[in-house]
Amino acid sequence: MFEARLLKANLLKKILESISTLVETANFDCSPSGISLQAMDASHVTLINLILRNDGFESYNCDRSLSLGLSLVSLAKILKCAGNDDVLTLKARDEADTVTFVFESPKNDRISDFEIKLLEIKNEQYGIRDSDHTAVIKMPSAELQRICRDLSIIGEIVTISADKQGVKFSVSGDSGSGNITVRPTSDGDAELATSVDVKEPIVLNFALKFLTHFTKATPLSPSVKISMSDGVPVVVEYKIEDLGYLSFFLAPKLSDE
Amino acid sequence: MGIKKLTEVIEDHTATSIKTNLLKNYFGRIIAIDASSSLYQFLIAMNSDVSSGLLNPLGETTSHLQGMFYRTIKLISKGIKPVFVFDGSAPVLKSGELAKRKARRKEANEALKEAEEIGTNEEVAKFQKRVISVTKKQNEECIKLLKLMGVPIVQAPCEAEAQCAELVKSGKVWATGSEDMDSLTLGSNVLLRRLFHSESKKLPILEFNLQDVLEGLQLTMPQFIDLCILLGCDYCESIKGIGPKRAFELITKHKTLEEIIKHLDKSKYPIPEFFPYEEVRELFMKPNVTPATEIEDFKWTDPDIEGLNQFLVKEMGFSDSRVALGIEKLKKYKNTAVQTRIDSFFTVIKRPLEEDKDNGKSAKKKVKTGSKGSTLKPTKVTLKKKPAARK
Repeated sequence: MFEARLLKANLLKKILESISTLVETANFDCSPSGISLQAMDASHVTLINLILRNDGFESYNCDRSLSLGLSLVSLAKILKCAGNDDVLTLKARDEADTVTFVFESPKNDRISDFEIKLLEIKNEQYGIRDSDHTAVIKMPSAELQRICRDLSIIGEIVTISADKQGVKFSVSGDSGSGNITVRPTSDGDAELATSVDVKEPIVLNFALKFLTHFTKATPLSPSVKISMSDGVPVVVEYKIEDLGYLSFFLAPKLSDE
Repeated sequence: MGIKKLTEVIEDHTATSIKTNLLKNYFGRIIAIDASSSLYQFLIAMNSDVSSGLLNPLGETTSHLQGMFYRTIKLISKGIKPVFVFDGSAPVLKSGELAKRKARRKEANEALKEAEEIGTNEEVAKFQKRVISVTKKQNEECIKLLKLMGVPIVQAPCEAEAQCAELVKSGKVWATGSEDMDSLTLGSNVLLRRLFHSESKKLPILEFNLQDVLEGLQLTMPQFIDLCILLGCDYCESIKGIGPKRAFELITKHKTLEEIIKHLDKSKYPIPEFFPYEEVRELFMKPNVTPATEIEDFKWTDPDIEGLNQFLVKEMGFSDSRVALGIEKLKKYKNTAVQTRIDSFFTVIKRPLEEDKDNGKSAKKKVKTGSKGSTLKPTKVTLKKKPAARK
């Protein structure tokens, strides 16, 4: 028996909105320590890694691990039925072929439950190591969203170069080119500050399209962490307050040999 | 051509092991392409009307070069790295099949002549397709073209599909691209079909995964090979009266060909005279190939622009503006940064199958993926008048 109660159904709604455009189906792996999700997009360029810790839930009950394969598109649709302040309860029996979502309004005067059929999804689990990155950039998530939006007018590939002075996002296309540089801020509140921690200067190329997809997670967190090392995927991480995090890995574009 | 009705068997028993995907999602993959099977396809596809087919100034057909040139560019422009594998000599066992094909072609040739005199256009076209064969010269021209384009080629000592399978097994390439299902029997772990289908047909690529197929059919590799021999392959005759359904039942019940033959009612299903299944089995398990370790690492080089112009435009009568456009594309995709695949950066920690075993749950209950339409069902919406006293 698995049961988890989340005070803000809204959070899951936001998570789904940010990932359901990248992957269609995914397994929610539920274990005693929490819920995790790993999924790649169809072209295998990005990996989504979602961790929701058990202590972030109001109540969490999972005596044996199970994975719930769900169509994220259907799930996103169902979560649209939840009110913004609703409380969500997730329920699944052992060996079940469905999972139940219960939404309760804050005043407890409206309760709805939806049952979704589970899918059998063949998904490989990947080991993700917490590696030491050459450059770690923290910035307001809305700022990253704006940069992606602005630069995607010009071209498809973004070059991110970081050094101690700041981070430069550059794009060039058939019609011209553009650069946006972000410098570290020293004042203001910590949540919206920009910080750049660079061990040595680094330059990497990425498909802008995917970065733009990632920024759909902006409503989840006011700030975003971008970690880069040479020749390996960039990690774009959104913290979900008191619950866990949602991170996206994006494989770089490398020049041939 | 390949294994008779193997696709049907797979579709019937383990449809989920066939994946469909878009061509563009295979970027960054090295794919060994069975050149002979693709050449044949090009000749058929673009030669449907021989009189107005694609010809060079000498009146020889150039459909194969057209196909090879533009379709290879298409693959490269999607970020795929093709390696072409050419047939060597056919194995001795195949001579029977080849003779049959030759006879069929001769027959078709006669029928064609007849059709040209009295038949309809449709009949003419039908027989024209049957007389097509790939000549040695056409093979050589393709090799020359690919070399000029900077695409690596491999000359197989024997069958190209077997060589492709060897390359896949060694990890030098990721998949085999062929229309022949033998590739699976020969041990290619991943087989892609429809790589060269024109985009206008909007057909997705079919991806067969050998491990999934074996799991789905619940067969071991030797059993799978026996099943293929039973279904009918290029190397020996098959038993009359045994179709895909019977063949699968028999192999599931008796496990090996020897046992099947022992239990088979010979009066109902006579074993053909020429049925050297042991040798055929050997041929599938240990085909004559160049070991992958002896093959140099593949390199995709810059196209030889002058050479291509000389060969395609001057000798073969291609339009120079279209060739120039093709070369432009080749150069462009050669020089752009290559999108890497995310899965190459992570290691798999567990396969889903093991996980299923761990949990001991039956997966059968669940809806298979790929079933269309969302499967949601609101069970009930209750409206309460008063807030209930619930925690």
